[in-house]
Amino acid sequence: MSAAQELSVPLARPRAGLPGSGGVALAIVVLLWLVAAISPLCARRAAEIRLEERLASPSATHPFGTDDLGRDLLARVVVATPISLAIGLTAAAVSVLVGFAVGASAGYFGGVTDLVLSRLVEVVLCFPVLFLLLALAAFLPPSPTAVILAIGLTTWPGDARYARAEVLKVKDLDYARAARAAGASAPRILIRHLLPNILPPLLVSAAFGVAWAILAEAALSFLGVGLPASTTSWGGILAAAPTYIEEAWWMALFPGLALFLTVAAYNLLAEGLRSRTVGRGRG
Amino acid sequence: MRPPPTILLAITLLSACRPKEAGAPSGGVARIPTPPASGSLKGAAAESGTLRRRLFGEPGTLNAVLQSDVPEQLVLQYLSRNLFDFDSRMNLVPGLAERIEFSPDGLACTISLRSEAVWEDGTPVTPADAVFTIRKIADPGTASPLYKALFQELVSVEEAGPRSFRARFREPYAYRAMAFAMPLLPARRFARQAFERAPDNRAPLSNGPYRLVSWRAQESIALERNPRYWGPPGRFDRVFFRILPENSVAYRALLQGDLDETWIDAALKQRAAQDPAFAACCRLVEFYDLDYNYIALNARLPFFADARARRALTMLLNRQSIAQTLYEGSARVISGPWAPESPAYDATVAPLPFDPKEAAVLLEEAGWRDSNGNGIRDRNGREFDFELLVSAGNTIGRQIDETFAAELARAGVRARVRTLEWASFVERLDSGSFEAASLASSASDPNPDPYPYWHSSQWPPRGLNSGFYRNPVADRLMEEARRERDEKRRIALFHRLHRIFRDDAPAIFVVNATKKYALSRALEGVETSPLGPFGIWPGPLAWSMPAAPARVAP
Amino acid sequence: MIRYTLRRLALAVPTLAGIVVLVFLLLHLAPGSPVSAMGAESGRRVSARAAEEMRRQYGLDRPLPERFGAWIGRIARLDLGESFVDRRPVGERIREALPYTLLLNGLALLLTLGIAIPLGVAAGGRPEGPLDRVSGVALFALYSLPSFWAALLLQALFSVRLRWLPLYGVASDSAPTGLGGLLDRLEHLALPVVCLTYGSLAFFARLVRSGVAEMRQQDFVLAARARGASARRALWAHAFRNALLPLITLLGLVLPGLLSGSVIIEKIFAWPGVGRLYFDSILARDYPVVLALSLLGAVATLAVTLAADLAYALADPRVRDGTEAR
Repeated sequence: MSAAQELSVPLARPRAGLPGSGGVALAIVVLLWLVAAISPLCARRAAEIRLEERLASPSATHPFGTDDLGRDLLARVVVATPISLAIGLTAAAVSVLVGFAVGASAGYFGGVTDLVLSRLVEVVLCFPVLFLLLALAAFLPPSPTAVILAIGLTTWPGDARYARAEVLKVKDLDYARAARAAGASAPRILIRHLLPNILPPLLVSAAFGVAWAILAEAALSFLGVGLPASTTSWGGILAAAPTYIEEAWWMALFPGLALFLTVAAYNLLAEGLRSRTVGRGRG
Repeated sequence: MRPPPTILLAITLLSACRPKEAGAPSGGVARIPTPPASGSLKGAAAESGTLRRRLFGEPGTLNAVLQSDVPEQLVLQYLSRNLFDFDSRMNLVPGLAERIEFSPDGLACTISLRSEAVWEDGTPVTPADAVFTIRKIADPGTASPLYKALFQELVSVEEAGPRSFRARFREPYAYRAMAFAMPLLPARRFARQAFERAPDNRAPLSNGPYRLVSWRAQESIALERNPRYWGPPGRFDRVFFRILPENSVAYRALLQGDLDETWIDAALKQRAAQDPAFAACCRLVEFYDLDYNYIALNARLPFFADARARRALTMLLNRQSIAQTLYEGSARVISGPWAPESPAYDATVAPLPFDPKEAAVLLEEAGWRDSNGNGIRDRNGREFDFELLVSAGNTIGRQIDETFAAELARAGVRARVRTLEWASFVERLDSGSFEAASLASSASDPNPDPYPYWHSSQWPPRGLNSGFYRNPVADRLMEEARRERDEKRRIALFHRLHRIFRDDAPAIFVVNATKKYALSRALEGVETSPLGPFGIWPGPLAWSMPAAPARVAP
Repeated sequence: MIRYTLRRLALAVPTLAGIVVLVFLLLHLAPGSPVSAMGAESGRRVSARAAEEMRRQYGLDRPLPERFGAWIGRIARLDLGESFVDRRPVGERIREALPYTLLLNGLALLLTLGIAIPLGVAAGGRPEGPLDRVSGVALFALYSLPSFWAALLLQALFSVRLRWLPLYGVASDSAPTGLGGLLDRLEHLALPVVCLTYGSLAFFARLVRSGVAEMRQQDFVLAARARGASARRALWAHAFRNALLPLITLLGLVLPGLLSGSVIIEKIFAWPGVGRLYFDSILARDYPVVLALSLLGAVATLAVTLAADLAYALADPRVRDGTEAR
């Protein structure tokens, strides 16, 4: 025991708040939301088409350069922020919530529930994602909601499988047995006792889900079934970039950078949150 | 009953600019001249080497009747001679056939085949092959997307002699002869087997200058010289088609010397212009062809039922600026449904100007006012707000649409630009269930007949007049033009139509842009035409590469 | 264990049935048809008469249940039908493309695991350490790089500027045989494999990292260290073993993807694989090919899911006991 105690000293470094990268991540997330909040101020500039200034490289007037229609890219990236963030977060949330609900129920209740829910998960899992995205996007009129639904509804089976596996792993551990013995209801046990323990991989998955959704939206735009052209998103800007890969690197760099910041920030934030929830869940 | 005496009728299709041939047939009998055996190929000794060409996608078949798109056409040009071909000036010239003669009522035609034409195995190309091919095309059980429409009015086709066959049609049609710019299939190779599944569809019997060597799925198709070809031999030992779906990758392959030609867009042209590596190994050919783009408007909607509103919309699209900027100056504003290269286009019909003020007046006249002050015009409680479709991958179309939508917004009209992938896009067009759509008209032959696209009998779902355009005067002129055998008078009818189309604005005709190809500098003899560099004869068959291609050092 | 396996196999049947019905319905109800998909390259449209005849030829004029019955009937006889596009047997088209995709994606997956697992374990061993932070940021940067962009850039650098690697294709036209030929093929594989790898690194590495980081302070790892196991051994043998479970799940999710390939990468590198076939077939509304590939994907997914569950059961007996108890 003494050796373990010795060891635990450097390992169990106390964590007050969100140290290190967690703090930076939080700052970036706040910044992104601030940008989203002020974005309507740029709407006018973002929509202004000036064909004679198309594909202009970054300069004082256009810090991010201009796009293929001579629109100011900085303004476009700013205007796209709330839409892309909304798509990323909502699609990831839909995916994790549906995935957790289905997967955890399957794992916790087992038996017929598990049987039926697992089949449902498998059906959606086996479904060709690209095809489903194309079909859904073709059926639903183009709007951010349609894209969110299409993306969220195709990714949840992955989360469901995690949730189910993790619930199976922890549901017979002592604390869960204890809660059951104490007469706690199933949803209460699931949410109060099991959720904190299966949250870590789900959070990581959700953080990636945010980025995946934004990238998937780019791919959908690229394939022509994404948002209507009148709605500006990072994905939409990125999708137009390959045509001008050597002429206008800025068309891919800046929305790509915004995407990177989002991915990195949400992931680091998720990991920061994870270390906190783990501490609490076990306590 | 004896058939009426056949009077040979002149084929006057677009032949005005054809150079005079020596030894033109006498006796008032005009026919398509047979070029001297050497033709433009000069009968020169065949050169060696490989020509490396590009395909966007994989051909679905090498059965000439079943072909549906460009990749098939590019390969088949080497393997299957047509009865007639178009030359670079859009005149019909003989191929497998020597001449075509029409009956006086214009309903029947007799086509004589060349006696020396043989298949790859040495057997002659016969009238039976022609009869078989045409019957197959007309057969309701055969899918022949490219040729079906041309033989829709076919009544019968039968052999008319050891070297000729006769086809009879329900209606006379001024451009009938163009239907015979078509290849033939060897009838006996398809006996006793399902036509769609015949082994020949993947390994066709050639009657052209090359024959198939290998076909690797999604990768490449290799051809070699056909030793039994009856005409002047091809200049290259081999022709190698590489399937490269991505345009910018094909451009790079060209720079590396992996390709000798590729189509490029405006963005790549700009890149090439600034790239010393390109200048060292390659050159650009650029020319105007018969394609143009336009924005189709659905006249069934209240917005587009009124010609004044359609004209107003045309005046809100700054086409001159689009030609200057998006196309870098390599496009011309058009005023009707033809490209200026087409004889049907009347250069004196000036396009409507970009004039937002006049457009506003027209919109007011048509009853579209902003009655509730929300910035969008309305009439009878309906806002002028429509969906503008564009097919995915049509970059320039999307750019035009977004520019257009921005200009419309200033004029109190809302256009919502939406991209759709091709199959859904076409379905919406074909069924007429769209509001407005940005598309390109792409010609495979010089036939300028506007009837299939603008005559009121061709409304969806029966025809391709997707916007439900109807103008009784235009209808009559189009019907007349189809029957008019005299080219001058026919062109005059088209010119009258052109003026109507400009003022009626059944669609917004945008621009006719140049086609651009990047070629290896070593490639010589590349001739361009309003039909492009490929869809003509001899076209690519006259290309040569006298010197070894210069390769750029890494 | 055998009973568990058999039961899982039996359960795959209703799943397959569900998928088949869903794909069939979605495919046939989706807008567009094999006829309207024609002329995508030339932009030419098919005349109404030709369109109608073709619809009849493809059997699209018949009611949906009848078409479904015909298709199921053929599938039951293990006949995948023939492609609308080139009239060849669907099986033949898939057989041509599958080896290329398996090779490309298999190598990419191996490379991903080969980099992600050691990186994840090392980063998880010292959370918030320098390696953890640097690798985290670097991996997220890679993850946010769209693959179409990266592929074109890598081509520009390695194929165009430096001329180290071929631009596209699976092999040179005149590839030597033997060792030289192998080398030639590897050169052609290099760029597409890298493009398929860099994006998935982040997910795998972070997953392993979080599993390891979580487990390293747990009693059994600490106990192992207390028993005198080296820090490295404690991490790999105990902490990593625990992180293995979510990794297996993830593998179960991505392995079937080996079959489906990546459209964008296969297009850019002119790789004759399943991804392109599948995508082109969807665009062309080549129903028999899309159905066959979907079915194939479903079977593969089910098989891998089953394998993953079995592996799970082996790695963690509680899973098996828990399931078998019911």
